Amino acid sequence: MTLLIRSQAERTAPPARRRRRLSSHSLMGPVMAAPALILLAVFLAIPFLGAIAMSFYRLQLNSTRAPRFIGLEQYSRLFADPDISAAFLHSLGNNFTFAAVVVPVQTALALGLALLVNGKLRGMAVFRTMFFMPLVFPLALVAVVWRLIFARDDHGLLNSAISLFTGGSVGPHDWLGSSATAMGAIIVMSIWQSVSFQMIILLGGLQAVPHDLYEAASLDRAGRWSQFLHVTVPGIRNTLIFVALLTTVFSFRLFDQVYLLGQSGSVDIESTQTMMYQVITTGYDQNNIGQGAAMAVVFLVIVTIVAVIQRRLVRQEGSIR
Amino acid sequence: MTFSTLRSTPRPRRRSIAVGGLAALVSVALAACGGPSASDSPSAASNISAGSGTGTLKVWALDGQSAENTAIQKIVSDFESSHPDIKVKMQFLPADSFAKALQTSSPADLPDVLEVDGPQIANLAYGQKIAPLSDYVSEATVQNQTDAVKGQNTVDGKLYAVSMMNSGLAMWGNKKLLDKAGVTMPKSASEAWTADEFTEVLRKLSAVVPNGKPLGIAENNGLSSEYGIYGFSPVLWSAGTPMIANGKASGALDSDTAVNALKKFASWKQFTNPDGDGTAFQSGQVALNWMGNWMYPAYDKALGNDLVVGPLPNFGKGAKTGSGTIAWSLGGHTKNGAAAGKLLDFLMSDPVVSTYTAANGAPPATKTTAASSPLYGAGKPLAFLRDQLDAACPTEDRLTKQCVAVSRPVTAGYPVVTSSFGKALTAIWGGADVAASLQAAARAIDRDFVDNNNYK
Repeated sequence: MTLLIRSQAERTAPPARRRRRLSSHSLMGPVMAAPALILLAVFLAIPFLGAIAMSFYRLQLNSTRAPRFIGLEQYSRLFADPDISAAFLHSLGNNFTFAAVVVPVQTALALGLALLVNGKLRGMAVFRTMFFMPLVFPLALVAVVWRLIFARDDHGLLNSAISLFTGGSVGPHDWLGSSATAMGAIIVMSIWQSVSFQMIILLGGLQAVPHDLYEAASLDRAGRWSQFLHVTVPGIRNTLIFVALLTTVFSFRLFDQVYLLGQSGSVDIESTQTMMYQVITTGYDQNNIGQGAAMAVVFLVIVTIVAVIQRRLVRQEGSIR
Repeated sequence: MTFSTLRSTPRPRRRSIAVGGLAALVSVALAACGGPSASDSPSAASNISAGSGTGTLKVWALDGQSAENTAIQKIVSDFESSHPDIKVKMQFLPADSFAKALQTSSPADLPDVLEVDGPQIANLAYGQKIAPLSDYVSEATVQNQTDAVKGQNTVDGKLYAVSMMNSGLAMWGNKKLLDKAGVTMPKSASEAWTADEFTEVLRKLSAVVPNGKPLGIAENNGLSSEYGIYGFSPVLWSAGTPMIANGKASGALDSDTAVNALKKFASWKQFTNPDGDGTAFQSGQVALNWMGNWMYPAYDKALGNDLVVGPLPNFGKGAKTGSGTIAWSLGGHTKNGAAAGKLLDFLMSDPVVSTYTAANGAPPATKTTAASSPLYGAGKPLAFLRDQLDAACPTEDRLTKQCVAVSRPVTAGYPVVTSSFGKALTAIWGGADVAASLQAAARAIDRDFVDNNNYK
């Protein structure tokens, strides 16, 4: 109705007025986008430019001394000073290890769980809730619980379970304190805590796969595995790509678990520290804002490269379709 | 990756807050470059003035245990009724963000009177966030402060804070378990077990506790946090080395003395209960617990007459304990110093200190109340802790064999000292090479000092 009236009005309107209306219309886009753009500028772009500026200065929190321009010294330290660069590169390596394990494992596990809770069982809502629960626990609480699980003596939940199943032949192990298992322990805890988020997204994808495709497949005598490969996976491919992308981005943010476990127990810092951990502890625990800013800038460059590569790969996937 | 990060669109946001803060800082700092206040070294000129001695005082206090808060509130309202022309505007800041709030506030935004954490005093003084207070509090108040707290509260010979309470470490024992193993708790710091004797004691005790791990060191507090340096720097002091000597960590923190002492300490991990929830001592799984005075009420409740207390082990140059805690300072830009001084005098008066320390069980930091305290007075249950605090070194550059209580390094570079030492201690406890870890920590500290022109 309104459409009709408008088109009539437009038809009868003189050309000049119509042009003016068009131009006011084209202003609407920027106006509508302005709030988001302003917020992005204030909270992302400007602070980041500030970080770049700060990375060239010797700048201490809590100091009345004026910042001193030191050029690229903080960047050269990141790669040349044995102490700073060792910690930084170690953190970088830990981030990549974490991402390399968590992205495939968590995505696969989330898919498995989604398939599980997609069934038509009585009381399925209860199972879905249970799987989803870790996600709503505060991380501080999760860290406390997992510290008890990973406790290094034979009273630790994991150690006593292992000892129970092996008849006491395997002694207790220091899961968080040993460089061999510290990152593994954090990976397990992280996956447990957040796998259900991916599960929920994949569950949505699964439920959108048309049911008649399965009927057609079973008429063609496709087995369950074959149905999964040829109906389910193609049906949720876009969801899977989205989930993998999201998991990658989040896995580079790894901070809370490492920080919380490190604050409250003996944990092998070297094999668990991450880039975010370095940036924040350098800036706020050591008051060294300039060095922290330089780390943040390098970190952003690295994450940008990873994101660009990933986008390339995903685009190729899309073009096959 | 976690939901908590996700829930708040984590990285961009977390970082943007951090970086936003940085941006604001840098712009302020850069603006200051061209301004009249620009100077390469902070001027010693005072930014505070006495004012009229009346009016409204802004006060920041730590949001502590509820008993402490109630006590503080009552104390402040008593002050208002005894000083009718001074009003107090109290603000309680939550503990976890208190230090960050002080660190990130500009000095001019700070209140007239504020609570500060002991080891941060030198850093806050350097940043002119707190001011020397001898001109504003009475001579009697200053004289009545114990030497142990004066150690933490004095920077470059000037008193920057006054304390109602202090803290101390001790070895807490479960008498029932000690008796079972034939072990007797030493009664004074001079009788402390040597490190080797302590190993032997632990070996004996490991036979009488359920899982063979008789020692507790409160691992649940974390060794990389502030507790790490507070709880375990006595190991170095007791071996005879400070952490910082002549403004440098190299040669002190990474000296052979320090390396050997921490090697010894790390060798006790095999006897140490991980104590993930901090209750192993109360439940009788741990026979000896390395802990501060603040756990006394819980221990007393759990063990009653079986609770015994003694010194930490002696690593060669006499048993030592940590000292120092939250104190009260003048804001670095207060324009009402006279009234603020009156409030500090009032806070340090006997009845107030008694009320406050009774509320939280901490050792009083004024001479007159310490002697009469129902917990720390002569012959009272924690008299041992007061004896340790009375034998104050009081700072780590004045170690002797006889003195016991030591304040953490008084330096403007303290944030880097605590974080570097904490990192090294965690690595050492986890099995890393002791010398390499301490050398890395010493290098990090010295680099920060050099970067900052030795905080001159």
